[in-house]
Amino acid sequence: MDRRTFFKTIGVGLAGAAGGALLTPSASEAQEVFEGEEFFGILVDTTRCIGCRRCERACAEVNNLPIPGISEKANETIYKKVRKTTDTAYTVTNLYETEKGKFFVPKRCMHCNLPGCRSACLVYAMKKRETGHVTWDLNCMGCRLCMISCPYDIPKFEYNQSIPKIQKCNLCYGRFQKGLVPGCVEVCPTEALMFGTRRGLLDEAKKRIAQNPNRYVNHVYGEYEVGGTSHLYLSAVPFEQLGFRTDLGIKPYPEYSLVYLYAIPFIATLTPLFMLGISYAVRSRKEKHEEKHEEKEKH
Amino acid sequence: MIIKTILLPTVICLLLLTIIGMNTVFSEKALPTKEEVIWTKPENKISIAHTEIFGILERPQVIFDHNKHTEAFKQEGCKTCHPVDEWGDFRFDFPKKVEKKDKTSVMNAYHDECMGCHKKSVKVKEKSGPVICADCHKEELLFVHIKYPVFEFDFAYHDNHVKKLREKLGKDDCSLCHHIYDPEEEDETLRLVYEKGTEESCYYCHDLDKKRGPELTVITRAAAKKGLTIQKASHLQCLNCHFKYTKELEILKKKKDEKAGPLECTKCHTGKYKTIAELAKVPRPDRNQPEKPFIGIENARMKGVPLNHSSHEKYNRTCRGCHHETLNACKKCHSVTGIPEGRQVNTANAYHNVFSEHSCAGCHNMKKKEKDCAGCHSNIPQMGIETMGPGKKVCSLCHTGRKEPPTPTPLNVAQLDPEKVKKEVTVKILENEYEPSKFPHLKIIQKLVKISNESKLATYFHANMQTICDGCHHQSRAEAEAKKDTPPYCENCHSVTNDFRKTGRTRLLSAYHRQCLGCHEMMDLEKGRKCSECHKEKKEVPKSITSVKNFELPVRFLEKLGW
Amino acid sequence: MEKHDAVEIVKEKIEGPQIKNFGDFWRFFRSELKPRGPIFTPFNIISAPVILIGLVLIVYRFAVGLGATTNLSQEFPWGMWIGFDVIVGVAFAGGGYALAFIVYILGVEKWRPILRATVLNAFLAYVFYAGAIILDIGRWWNAPNPFLGRGFGVSSVMFIVAWHFLLYMLTLGIEFSPAVPEWLGMKKLRKILGSLTLGAVVFGVMLSIHHQSGLGALFAMAKGKIHPLWYSEFIPVIFFISSIYSGLSLVIFEGTISHKVFESQIDEEHHHAYPDILVGLAKTCAGVMFAVFFLDLFMVHHDGELRLLSTPMGYWYLTEVLGLLLLPCFLYVHGAQTRNLAFIRVAAVLALIGIVLNRLNTVFIAYNWYVPLEQRYYPYWMEIWVTLTIIFIEIWVFRWIINRMPVMRKSPEWARALEKH
Repeated sequence: MDRRTFFKTIGVGLAGAAGGALLTPSASEAQEVFEGEEFFGILVDTTRCIGCRRCERACAEVNNLPIPGISEKANETIYKKVRKTTDTAYTVTNLYETEKGKFFVPKRCMHCNLPGCRSACLVYAMKKRETGHVTWDLNCMGCRLCMISCPYDIPKFEYNQSIPKIQKCNLCYGRFQKGLVPGCVEVCPTEALMFGTRRGLLDEAKKRIAQNPNRYVNHVYGEYEVGGTSHLYLSAVPFEQLGFRTDLGIKPYPEYSLVYLYAIPFIATLTPLFMLGISYAVRSRKEKHEEKHEEKEKH
Repeated sequence: MIIKTILLPTVICLLLLTIIGMNTVFSEKALPTKEEVIWTKPENKISIAHTEIFGILERPQVIFDHNKHTEAFKQEGCKTCHPVDEWGDFRFDFPKKVEKKDKTSVMNAYHDECMGCHKKSVKVKEKSGPVICADCHKEELLFVHIKYPVFEFDFAYHDNHVKKLREKLGKDDCSLCHHIYDPEEEDETLRLVYEKGTEESCYYCHDLDKKRGPELTVITRAAAKKGLTIQKASHLQCLNCHFKYTKELEILKKKKDEKAGPLECTKCHTGKYKTIAELAKVPRPDRNQPEKPFIGIENARMKGVPLNHSSHEKYNRTCRGCHHETLNACKKCHSVTGIPEGRQVNTANAYHNVFSEHSCAGCHNMKKKEKDCAGCHSNIPQMGIETMGPGKKVCSLCHTGRKEPPTPTPLNVAQLDPEKVKKEVTVKILENEYEPSKFPHLKIIQKLVKISNESKLATYFHANMQTICDGCHHQSRAEAEAKKDTPPYCENCHSVTNDFRKTGRTRLLSAYHRQCLGCHEMMDLEKGRKCSECHKEKKEVPKSITSVKNFELPVRFLEKLGW
Repeated sequence: MEKHDAVEIVKEKIEGPQIKNFGDFWRFFRSELKPRGPIFTPFNIISAPVILIGLVLIVYRFAVGLGATTNLSQEFPWGMWIGFDVIVGVAFAGGGYALAFIVYILGVEKWRPILRATVLNAFLAYVFYAGAIILDIGRWWNAPNPFLGRGFGVSSVMFIVAWHFLLYMLTLGIEFSPAVPEWLGMKKLRKILGSLTLGAVVFGVMLSIHHQSGLGALFAMAKGKIHPLWYSEFIPVIFFISSIYSGLSLVIFEGTISHKVFESQIDEEHHHAYPDILVGLAKTCAGVMFAVFFLDLFMVHHDGELRLLSTPMGYWYLTEVLGLLLLPCFLYVHGAQTRNLAFIRVAAVLALIGIVLNRLNTVFIAYNWYVPLEQRYYPYWMEIWVTLTIIFIEIWVFRWIINRMPVMRKSPEWARALEKH
């Protein structure tokens, strides 16, 4: 290999490495810590929920979705099946029968502190706002990696539209900016849903548990699960009985892909050098071999 | 070639798979998953398993038919199997002799005595028991669980025994059953003594499961050494006496209907217990207890409390509900500053601990959890927390400072001013979705008053009608309300909307629902659990239920594209 | 006049078409567009209508959206198009970087004859299969966003993968590009492009490591949803290493077909050397496959999942690992040792099926495997049809290039002379 080729290849390699280094996440980005504003969230007390489904109706009204019928008769049939959120229903309430009685559990986006969907989004269409709201934006590509990365299977894709969106609860970010509470919180008749700062809600949740030890299980779901979420739940029975996944761990989901992301700069810088080294070594061996061969042939 | 390239790797793979397979198989748990069968009618059969010695059993447990053996050995008597102690009483232990408490010794002892006896009978060609393993260790009885319900020697039985023995002996002789243990006495055989005025429950010394104070622990240790659990001690004490009198009756050939106390398991362990109401009619044993003691502490800040001891006696099944360690006054162990005998619990906490089963406040709090009371009381914080507040009204209900406990007067609804206390109240907050809700205000008050008057505890503490009103109108002050023209509406304090930066006070809608629904739920009422029972749905479905109509503008086509 | 033309023709044959201006190029290109060989071959008869209907289906998909044209659902957001076209297609294209690494970096000259076809195949695979991503994403008009800066999602694995796909497509293009001036007879251009090759190969291997493992890292956050036997923190490593043998197996498979179809272009020397090449490929594949098997075994044992092997999903896993990873590995070894090409070819097919199964398991078979059977995903006929369309279009382009450019046949003399220096 002559000098010119050598420099050319090094140049290409280094350019690639530098480009790769620029594109990999810096430490602070990867950990996604927001300072300044507090996170807001909702405390869901399942012992207070009476299953009236006004939250579903209010959510549909606020977000321009088809409005569900919530009369008592309609509710009787609705509660026969456990439902999931859909692309036209950001929140659903399900009925669970346990040994302590019937409980209603409203299910919606958990607005995780370190959301998997937000880290998965390659155009940052999913944003974790400074106030804790996880919202979807229109620069989305529709790749649906957020759906794969959500531990709760929340983002829903509008398969039936030719201009599809990803639909999920956005904690009423628009209303929040006008100083209003989320629609579901406003209409809840028993204050099963309480809106406030995450810190304040955790205090309130712990206070309720301390003052009523027989009423609640001593655990606030969402305090530490998947690194903490802004939707916090209280329950009278172990959370598995209310359809919650308790095997998700306390590691924030983005950290699972950190190993790979942190390896990128290493591979980007080391492998080109490694390969150039091998290439050079191989060639010089070959040339030596050929020289020896020529020498032999001469004699 | 083929052997080298295919056979060798295949063998290695098979080896790996075998290791993996064995790993899988052996990591399964060994216990089978069949369900337990509980015999509710044990028919005096006894389960011999001794899992505390053997752990997981290699062979199934033995279900021993005691009746068969007592029938067979009617002539010979209990001493055939059971040892007799130095006082001539039977110790209902089996096997007679076990040197060490390890698996082999215990197993051998059982086998020697049971099978030894059976083999003897076989030799004499008499009907005998099994000598083959599987005939005693029956496979089908593997999951059988024999449960004898705990026998409660309640006051009715005690009274019965006292009366009968008084009849027989002509005088009261408590020493027949009662004794105390004097650990100081040098001569071991003389440690059990009877002292009049020290009669207590057997449980104090013989209940080895409970942790006791330092004094009692010495005694319970001694009992444990001799293996005198409550079960063993009771059987020893009761059965020997019954046995003696049964023999007596047989010898004297008395009338058949004179009974001498049961000897069969199921005759005592019936599983039937008397209610507190039934026991209330039985006189309590006389231990010189004061009728109405005055509990006061010198130079204390709070006035003393007159306690109606005799009526409290009737509210409990046993004395141990309050006198949990000994039959003494609380102050003896729970001094003002706290001493080791009382496990450092001082007088104030002994009487006021809201979470304890034995303290005054604790027991009263437990009563408040009952269905009839929980409607209001589940929302009211417990006394312990309340007393930290400035208003100490609730304290003065007990701390009267007088020797005589006050007689509580029942509440009377007739006193209420019908102008002020409405018969029916209409709630219209969800007007656009539901018909107005009318609820029977006066009826509810009357019902609550009725419940309160039926309970002595409630009548005592609900000293005036205001306490009943406070159940729902929890923060309103009667004096202030009396001056106003308007009634104490919930919306005076609970606003329609709330500030989400302050998570303290609920908004009006949820105040209504949590108060009303909460009460119905805690009192386990049949009515008033469905939405439409309180407010009927309107025929027309409302257009919107959120306060602010949808204000977001429709998204334009290009915006939808997000380009 | 005729003598002049004759000289021209001879010159063209030796030195390639003399293109001096755009007019020359246009005439040359139009002549090249004419089909070479019979039009009504069985392959053409089958693939042409498939392609035509497929194009209609593609337009339909863009018009109505994914709901009407696929069986994708909220539980299964990724199906055949991403699972098979993109992920399996990219795994199959692993031969591009693996072979380039072995020939250019490790200097194993005896494999050079198949290199260009492999690089071309990989390049077309990326253009068409990775390009098939556009089909599957819901808001495809926003596809340029991650490149244009309308949101650099730097914490996203998909961002890395998208950028790498683009860069790698360009890199493969550069690697293959020397064939174009050889086709057009442009010496200077050939010299310039040839000098870029080594750099492109180095860059390309680095990019490949990133995005092959990146396809695995996409699922890193699907921890609770992929069956534990297929999920581990080392999915990226397994995906990367398996892409090596998958690419080389595809080289064997596709080479078998190409050598039959384009027999006329292959010279004697290559024909004799081909069995050696196959044996060499077989040995390499076997080694890599054993490494993957060992990794799989290690992962299963390490995560304490041995007991899962006795469940139905466990049997499925064993089928994939023992039948479609270990078995072809042994077949490769045997074929290499006995120089039995039939074994090697069968092994290649089995290995490719194993890769397809492994990737599809991760995407929608072992993903959300606990969902009831009625809700499980299976490809809609339109998805299969469009996939076939893309494959056929790619084969048509592949065939067009091979028939015109020096890919299977040797480069012209003057190009080979440049290489020597």
